[in-house]
Amino acid sequence: MTIQLVSKRYQVADAADPIEFCFQQGWTDGLPVVPPTADRVAAMLEAARLDAKQEVGFITHRAVSISAEKVAINAVMAGCKPEYMPVVIAAVEGIADPRWSYHGPGTSTGGAAVLMIVNGPVARELDVNCGDNLFGPGWRANATIGRALRLVMRNVCGSMPGLLDRGTLGHPGKLSYVIAENEAESPWTPLHVERGFRPEQSTVTVMAANGPHQFYNQLSNTAEGVLTTLADDMRISGGVMGQPHYAVVLAGEHMRTIAGSGWNKADIRRFLFEHTQNSHAHLKRTGRMSAELKPGDETLMRPLVESPDDILVVAAGGRAGTFSAYIPGWGSKRSSQAVTKEVKRPGV
Amino acid sequence: MELLDPTTGAAAQAIAYAPRPGSIEGKRIALIENTKFNSDKLLVKIGDILVHDYGAAGTRMWRKRNASVPAHEEIIEEVRKTCDVVVAGVGD
Repeated sequence: MTIQLVSKRYQVADAADPIEFCFQQGWTDGLPVVPPTADRVAAMLEAARLDAKQEVGFITHRAVSISAEKVAINAVMAGCKPEYMPVVIAAVEGIADPRWSYHGPGTSTGGAAVLMIVNGPVARELDVNCGDNLFGPGWRANATIGRALRLVMRNVCGSMPGLLDRGTLGHPGKLSYVIAENEAESPWTPLHVERGFRPEQSTVTVMAANGPHQFYNQLSNTAEGVLTTLADDMRISGGVMGQPHYAVVLAGEHMRTIAGSGWNKADIRRFLFEHTQNSHAHLKRTGRMSAELKPGDETLMRPLVESPDDILVVAAGGRAGTFSAYIPGWGSKRSSQAVTKEVKRPGV
Repeated sequence: MELLDPTTGAAAQAIAYAPRPGSIEGKRIALIENTKFNSDKLLVKIGDILVHDYGAAGTRMWRKRNASVPAHEEIIEEVRKTCDVVVAGVGD
């Protein structure tokens, strides 16, 4: 296929450093980028069999159309391999979905990042890490796919820190926040199947998210024991009054302990929903809920999320170590919902 | 080396501001509440000042679905029919 690129072109004198040129243009996230040359961009589009002008998403409240060419340029700059492009495209479709509702999580002082959970065969084929050092560095796919998405948000959607990205604190996940589910070792239904896809389909789930919170339980050998610790950690976390989504990431040892008790993901969600509720009295005393204390507030309970289904359970993380994590969503479920999109790969 | 521009501008839109009233006197005031803590209280105070100090005819408040979205169509329609002036804002 012939790729017709329409973006403005900049000539950089041979002596000038093209990486430095990208910094000077304000195109980077603070790290050096791969210079986006026409050959590299064309290879990226070719890998996804996309026409440069094709619209991948439209951000209504910003009146911004995201073309495949712009996604490809930013994916090149992020360091993606061409075969990552379909995953980046699916993620862009996700954040452009009205349910994700870009303007809030893309702008808010709450400082959300886009947590991306990759499921299905593509995760294994592209070596998206689902194991050791899950949220840390070391895997090109994890580091660059999320980086590409954030560069699209910056360069195309206008989410520039201090301007239309007004995160008070932000967090390191705003550089890249990509994990895969460990479907090979998980005893449970994969996230994408729970969300309506077939096991052989590949998907990306995007969730507006705060940073990961690690918890530790080395003592319990039952599901109830491990999840009691998790619920105690989760109960007061994130936007406790917002009732957003939560992602719960269960690593190897905890995964095996919980499964050993015969619990599935629905059991986990139900337990966490029931054991993360706060009394109105506590929320008022600690400055989270407005209004004066009333009789009955000590026993009137408010759930952390609106429904058990608002907790996304993912099996991922190293095999060794009694650590797992929970990730509070940004804002509220009314403001932004997690969205799952299929990764469409040519010829697959 | 030739590099491609990774940026895009927003689509051009024509935006026209409604004419500003010369005076608030006798005007019906719409207050658009953005759901954040105390935004309703702040708007009530502003509405009271507009009525008592500037002679506005009265106020009516609407609540957006959440802080991150524009006022929805039903609000816009009702405001258009029943009010002359809107007070809205975004803040934490």
